[in-house]
Amino acid sequence: MNNTSIRVRLTLWYGSALALILLLFAVALYLVMSRALREQVDASLDDAAAVAIRTLGEHRFGPFLIFEDLSQDFPELALLDKFFQIFGPAGQVTIQSSNIQSREIPLSQTAFQASLRGESTFESVQFKKGVSLRLLSVPIRQGEQLVNILRVGTSLQSTDRMLRRLLVGLYIASPLALLVSLMGGWFLSGRALRPVHAITQAARRITAGDWSQRILTPHSNDEIGQLASTFNDMIGRLEVSFKQIRQFSADASHELRTPLTITKGETELALRRPRQAEDYRGVLESNLEEIDRMSRIVDELLFLSRADLGEIKLKMFPVQLDDLFREIHQQANLLGKERQVQTVLTRIEPVVVEGDDLRLRELLLNLVDNAVKYSQEGQTVELALAVVGDQVKIIVQDHGIGIAPENHARVFDRFYRTDDARAHAAKGTGLGLAICKWIVEVHHGTIELQSAVHGGSCFTVFLPLAAVPA
Amino acid sequence: MRILVVEDEPKVASFIRRALEEESYAVDVCIDGAGGLDWAQTINYDLIILDLMLPGLPGVEVLKRARAAGVKAPVMILTARSEVDQRVKGLDAGADDYLTKPFAIEELLARARALLRRAGGAPSGILQVDDVVLNPVTREVTRGDQRLEFTTKEYALMEYLMRNAGRVLTRSMIAEHVWDLDFDTFTNVIDVYISYLRNKIDKGRERSLIQTIRGSGYMMRSDG
Repeated sequence: MNNTSIRVRLTLWYGSALALILLLFAVALYLVMSRALREQVDASLDDAAAVAIRTLGEHRFGPFLIFEDLSQDFPELALLDKFFQIFGPAGQVTIQSSNIQSREIPLSQTAFQASLRGESTFESVQFKKGVSLRLLSVPIRQGEQLVNILRVGTSLQSTDRMLRRLLVGLYIASPLALLVSLMGGWFLSGRALRPVHAITQAARRITAGDWSQRILTPHSNDEIGQLASTFNDMIGRLEVSFKQIRQFSADASHELRTPLTITKGETELALRRPRQAEDYRGVLESNLEEIDRMSRIVDELLFLSRADLGEIKLKMFPVQLDDLFREIHQQANLLGKERQVQTVLTRIEPVVVEGDDLRLRELLLNLVDNAVKYSQEGQTVELALAVVGDQVKIIVQDHGIGIAPENHARVFDRFYRTDDARAHAAKGTGLGLAICKWIVEVHHGTIELQSAVHGGSCFTVFLPLAAVPA
Repeated sequence: MRILVVEDEPKVASFIRRALEEESYAVDVCIDGAGGLDWAQTINYDLIILDLMLPGLPGVEVLKRARAAGVKAPVMILTARSEVDQRVKGLDAGADDYLTKPFAIEELLARARALLRRAGGAPSGILQVDDVVLNPVTREVTRGDQRLEFTTKEYALMEYLMRNAGRVLTRSMIAEHVWDLDFDTFTNVIDVYISYLRNKIDKGRERSLIQTIRGSGYMMRSDG
């Protein structure tokens, strides 16, 4: 039954419940009805008996009448749809109304015994020809002496007929009602499940790569509406991250394609014909540079994807940041030596932060390397380290090509490089600042950028001070 | 044949230039879109090789503007992205062919030859004037049964003359299609190269295939 649709199951559940209710209702109705009819018959027998006894009583019960006299004297008795029998004290019929004529309806043993005790008895009797009768036997006594037994009877034919009709009615109406409500249930569950169908269809189209699919939610606050809008939100988020991933892999492949194009092109060109040794050497040197670039991109990509997965374990210890800062300052001067970019320490204070010294070194080196790389020849880079409140403020300021304000938000994006940056330094991977941002964030800090085109760039990093300075 | 290469990555531009120069094309390299557009409009190039990812003005935009300005030269676009829509955009903007990076250098050269051939109107690619036959693929030139050897510049001049056989070519046209931007127009280099060619192809014959048109330039024409 697992692959039966919810619609079928809903309808079946609904139908079974309804069938049960209908059945109970029908049984109860039948019972109540038959009981009410029986009681009605019994009450009318009682009445008739009372009338008969009163009439007979006026005649002092004797001498033994013949019915013709009785009916002459009391014509109303004959008009009743009942018959009368009067039995003698031994149980023998002494007189009976003409509407049963010759039929033998003997007094039953039970009724006779009850009469001897002075009790009335109701009985139902079935005759051979299918006529069922309801009988009331009432003893007539004078003192303790049983004089006669009056029996009043009536046919149950009309009652039975009525009950049969009721039964037939129930037999026909119940399945009909069940059928109609099953159809209604099928229709309603279909209606209720239509949005689910729409969701399924939308989900199916999305797997084909069309992220523009959304589910229409006309009545938006019911359960299905909530499901649909939740689903829509989810598609929206998936669409965004899918696009980011696609952009990212497109960027990654572009960044890798450039060095590949160079190595392939230069190598093929070199192999087209015999060349001088120094030409080969030039090609190999150039290719080595490109191979280094590719391995740097691959390393940084791997780092970032491991960072995304939370696989990079940080070893957090108190780090004497000013020592690290001086070291970086020296390295920066080495980096800038060739292009005469000097790095100066404008301010330094003893500072301890809680962090991973390898990552912090990487952060500072990346920032300083960028500052040197995007400086013009002969310019200076300024570094400062200061305590501001409960935070450390690190400033890396250059006077180089700068970044236009509209690009500030994107420089921390993976592979994002401004056109100027591309033109200025082909060696960048476009991943350095993304890594910087990650390192700052895992140290619970923030990184900011102030810059303008040709106005230089200033990266400011805030890191929290170690809780208790050593 | 003179080719403009617009490519911002210096090393890529450099090996493309060397490869084309080895095939005796005259090559100019421009590293940004705006400059490339400028040159394409100024000089009557035989082929433009255009990278789509350019700083400043993107390649597709360069192409659109160049076409709008009436630049008719065939254009081959280079793209680092293999996405279909990039290539479609480029082709719709007026490119004649595309190549995805990284590409094989031989393919670049073959496509360049194909584009030049189509523009030159010689479907087979083999050029013939009188009994001089030039095959641009193998770069072999023969006259009758005899194979002729040329330097790259001589070959370039020869190919240009043969492609335009029957037309008068001025010195400035020759300079524009055979030499690159470093060419100094005030020298008689063209006349010198013409005489080199005559020495090689007309050796031992009375009339030259390359005729001097007084006051205008040169024309290559079969004798008959």
